[in-house]
Amino acid sequence: MKDLTMANFLNSEKLDLSFDNLTLLSNERIEAYKNLKTIGIPSKRNERWKYTDLKNDIRNINFSLCETSIDIKNSSEKIEINEIDYFTNNKDNYLKPIKYLNDEGVIYLNLSYSNLFRVITIKETPKKPIFVTLETFGKGMTFPRFVFNILPNINVEIHFLIRGGDGFVNQLIEFNIDRNSTVNIFRVNESSSIHSETFMAYLKANSNLFLNNLSLPKNKSRFQAFNSFEEDFSSSSFKSVSIPFKGCKDDFLVYNNHLSSSCSSNVGMRSILNKGVECSFQALIDIENKIKNSKAEQDCKAILLDEKSSMNAKPEMKIFNNDVVCKHGTTIGSLNKDQIFYLNSRGLSKLKAEKILLQGIISEYISDTSPLFNFLPESYK
Amino acid sequence: MKEFLNINNLSVSVDEKNIINNLNLKINQGEIHAIMGPNGSGKSTLSNVLAGKDGYSITNGNISFCEENLLEFSPDERANKGIFLAFQYPVEIPGVTNINFIKTALESKREFNGLDPLKPGDFLKLIKEKAKVLGIPEDRLKRQLNVGFSGGEKKRNEALQLMMLNPSLAILDETDSGLDVDAFKIVADAVNSTRSKENSMLIITHYQRLLERICPDFVHVFVNGSIIESGGPSLADEIEKNGYERFNNG
Repeated sequence: MKDLTMANFLNSEKLDLSFDNLTLLSNERIEAYKNLKTIGIPSKRNERWKYTDLKNDIRNINFSLCETSIDIKNSSEKIEINEIDYFTNNKDNYLKPIKYLNDEGVIYLNLSYSNLFRVITIKETPKKPIFVTLETFGKGMTFPRFVFNILPNINVEIHFLIRGGDGFVNQLIEFNIDRNSTVNIFRVNESSSIHSETFMAYLKANSNLFLNNLSLPKNKSRFQAFNSFEEDFSSSSFKSVSIPFKGCKDDFLVYNNHLSSSCSSNVGMRSILNKGVECSFQALIDIENKIKNSKAEQDCKAILLDEKSSMNAKPEMKIFNNDVVCKHGTTIGSLNKDQIFYLNSRGLSKLKAEKILLQGIISEYISDTSPLFNFLPESYK
Repeated sequence: MKEFLNINNLSVSVDEKNIINNLNLKINQGEIHAIMGPNGSGKSTLSNVLAGKDGYSITNGNISFCEENLLEFSPDERANKGIFLAFQYPVEIPGVTNINFIKTALESKREFNGLDPLKPGDFLKLIKEKAKVLGIPEDRLKRQLNVGFSGGEKKRNEALQLMMLNPSLAILDETDSGLDVDAFKIVADAVNSTRSKENSMLIITHYQRLLERICPDFVHVFVNGSIIESGGPSLADEIEKNGYERFNNG
């Protein structure tokens, strides 16, 4: 069968404009492009996650670049921001993600068409958070790439807001987190484009990565994270609240690869699903035989508020030794009737009781002091 | 004396099994009634039906509360009209702080009855006062509602809600179970302190020891979904001494 989506990419002269940026990296781009053609645009058939079909979803998107703006606000002189020159000066960095993952079509797609680059190097702990806003406009496509280089002994908070558009965003983000550094990310996705994001973190000794995510997609969204614990005593904690808009989809996948000993990972999701939305949670814990003293947790709770919405949860563990503390749990269902009755019995209406219970579920991850709180829909505040 | 609750020939079934059979019970304003009965006799079903829980079929009879048909009202309307159920097994509500929950419940009741919400300072003063009586530390007020509470802590928290909401009719469903000796005394005395000529209580218990501290006006023996004997506090003494054998044998 002819692959129409791939054919659209191959025949799109308008998208090829993005290559103009990359003449200095033509070999790297060509390598990625070859792999993209071999693997193909991700579909249900060839992806490790099975719940959305990107190939089908983007078939009718305008195969040209759309306007994209990246706004970065920071108040420190010790933060350096580079663009494509970062890669032209060190070409190995361009293909770094495929040294870790060589079977991900969305990565090759980004490496083939990357049209916007921001490389943010943080040399000392900033006094205030760094604010990054990615906004797209119109029906076309965009392939932004971010690299955050966090030098040793840094403690940084990064707020990431994604919004706008009516097309397709294929975003690649990398975090190189050096020793004894801590990164705390507050991410909000309220994009109205089809949004596909690959998040890759490489953690050195005693480094910590926290992702606090609020996903409010107004279209189809997939967020896939791959955390590589390259040295001992590193950790990650990913907590995501998902409240998709009517009829939208939201996929959340986190792969924690324990490549070193004494590392810990924690992934959790809270989903409120209503009006025919579809959500998925996939978390994979990968611990080889020689890796000792690991801790890993997965936890998913989804509330279905109508019969048309659905949740797919797929916790996975590949653990090949006994020196591991591991927990996982998934709960999918409607609101607990006993809890509703308890609140009713104290004078709260059914509607108010449901609202309080949903707020309670969200507040497990987003408290009223969190920077994400103001982005919550009014009914959940 | 004003009639509060009137249960008239009430029959209730669950999944087509009869749990309550032709029950009659009147509670007037200011009275305290105790229901004692063996396990599985339908005591908790009665408390749930009064509070309006789903899943019970009223196959016969009616219930009036302050001369209104109670069965027409939703659970929240019943609560706001003055019925309070202290749960045998209070549920845990993650993510909702105890103090915010009690504040919301109190505001809801006051709004229903046409009253303005308490000023934040007044509310805080009141809840701290009541918590102190019950030996509830202030930090527990900030914890998630019943989450990680021991059985005794949950029962104290039920008593705190009772004291804050000051209902017309309090239904205590085995409030004494799960309490150690000291906590039992504190909770029983706190509940007793809410007693007044305006309010009534329906106490469901297995043990006479609670009734020693909250002396009821009437004690009813509940077996197979019906009251088979009623009397004064001495009836509770007899049950404590001899058990339910006499009543089970008809």
